[in-house]
Amino acid sequence: MNALSRRSLRWLAPAAAVLAALLLWQLATAGGLFRADQFPTMTDTMIALGKAVASPLYWAAIGATVQAWFLGLVIASVLAIVIGSALAFNDFAFRSAASVIEIFKAIPAIAILPLVILVLGSTLPMKVFLIAFGVFWPLVIQVIYGVRSMDPTVLDTSKALGVRGVWRFFVVVIPSASPYIATGLRIASASALILAVVSELVGGASGIGRNILQAQNGGTAAYPVMYAYIITAGLIGIILTGAFFLLERNVMHWHESQRNIRSNSEGALK
Amino acid sequence: MTQTITPEIVPERAAGASIGETTDLLVSPRRVRSRGARVRNVLLAVWLPIALLVIWWFASASSTSPFFPPLSRILEEFWAQWIVGPASMQLGSSLRNLALGYLGGALIGVVFGTLLWRFPPVRQVSNPLIYFLYVLPAPALLPAMIALFGIGELRQIALISFGAIWPTLLNTLDGMRGLDQVKFDTARAMKLSPVRQLFSLVLPGASPQIAAGLRASLQTSIILMVVTEMVAAKQGIGYFILQAQTVFAITTMWTGILMLAIIGTAANYLFVGVERIVLRWYYRSRALNNS
Repeated sequence: MNALSRRSLRWLAPAAAVLAALLLWQLATAGGLFRADQFPTMTDTMIALGKAVASPLYWAAIGATVQAWFLGLVIASVLAIVIGSALAFNDFAFRSAASVIEIFKAIPAIAILPLVILVLGSTLPMKVFLIAFGVFWPLVIQVIYGVRSMDPTVLDTSKALGVRGVWRFFVVVIPSASPYIATGLRIASASALILAVVSELVGGASGIGRNILQAQNGGTAAYPVMYAYIITAGLIGIILTGAFFLLERNVMHWHESQRNIRSNSEGALK
Repeated sequence: MTQTITPEIVPERAAGASIGETTDLLVSPRRVRSRGARVRNVLLAVWLPIALLVIWWFASASSTSPFFPPLSRILEEFWAQWIVGPASMQLGSSLRNLALGYLGGALIGVVFGTLLWRFPPVRQVSNPLIYFLYVLPAPALLPAMIALFGIGELRQIALISFGAIWPTLLNTLDGMRGLDQVKFDTARAMKLSPVRQLFSLVLPGASPQIAAGLRASLQTSIILMVVTEMVAAKQGIGYFILQAQTVFAITTMWTGILMLAIIGTAANYLFVGVERIVLRWYYRSRALNNS
């Protein structure tokens, strides 16, 4: 009973907090703290969100954003895993490339956005290129670290067992580095979404970001729509980041790093 | 192998929704011993960037593509715009916004992260809201902020701060939650006051992870600095780049990109430098454990 009530409390308290926040929003806007042309009321925004959900345009915008996010992430991670593993196995290559990777990682990806818009236009390839470029560098660092931190005994054992070539890559190297890669992917997923929104906001490619800007340009009457799309952007973030978070916890549970963390966090709960 | 610290692998991320990269190719715990080895290391680190620059120089020398002007022309224009020219004023505005926004956000993140750690009920209640604000792509808020505050530097700084809060806050919280309970028992036995505990146990103990959060916040801040200038400002380096693109002054645009690359790299190195000094004890103890 005690465990059950504690469990329900864990769900109820956050839900109540969300509700309270929404109510506060309604009170602040309807009560006149903000003017309607600055900040729409919660109910107006929810009505706008409900209307938007019913229209195919809404889903097309979500689709455009998520598609770019997905393609950019896939391209960047394939490249990062291949190049990162290759660099990790060769000390000379690793030490030579490290500074280049650090420099490119430090360049904010949106710096090249105007150039990419010029070359590729306000298109899907433009978004995908920007996302892949921005996400590749931190990811490749994670991969290099993951592969380099591999237990040498594991590698020697696999050699002794005659596991070699591509087979060793997929069966030994990738699984050993997978916690690092999973973490890298979760971080990359968040930045990929930011870059997708920026490329729509600044670059005018279709998607959530452009719809937010259009609603803002549409004047006061469209503000509820704008906030509806902002909420949508947050919800997409929750779903995408949450997916990687669950992946990290549930797919990686066999890895020793996760085992330790599990037992630690269970210890912390009591 | 009796150490009971959390595993080196992905230390902070697995336990919570935090973001942040501790892994850094520049910070290696390995200490270089002889001078010869040090020279070799430096050579190893710099030959490839230099080679790439040389290749870029010669490959672009006869370039006729409008998008990729010769590097020599970019550098000339860079000198004319940023060193002796008018663009250096844009730089001042950008850096001021970045510094104020980042420091403000980081401070809020550490303070509120500590408060949330101290008061678990508040943490539980506010968890979904914080998570929502953390995953919400901050640039999406920009049009709303324009509607709310109009165009102005204060709003830019506010948005940069807003984006910088969450990685630091979540990492602060996670770092403090991951502290060893034995340490608190020791502190209690030593009858340390709560304030003493905070400054001599909690903050230092969580500092490696707070640093990871601060670094992630720095990257978010730089992105937001550029985006705010591109969408909603009449000055700054982002405005400069986009303006050059609009009038098709491609070489000028390239100088802006170059400047941003320099800012990003410099900010990163500055951060690593400060981190190395502040966390020297941590890297030392890690190096000892590893050897």
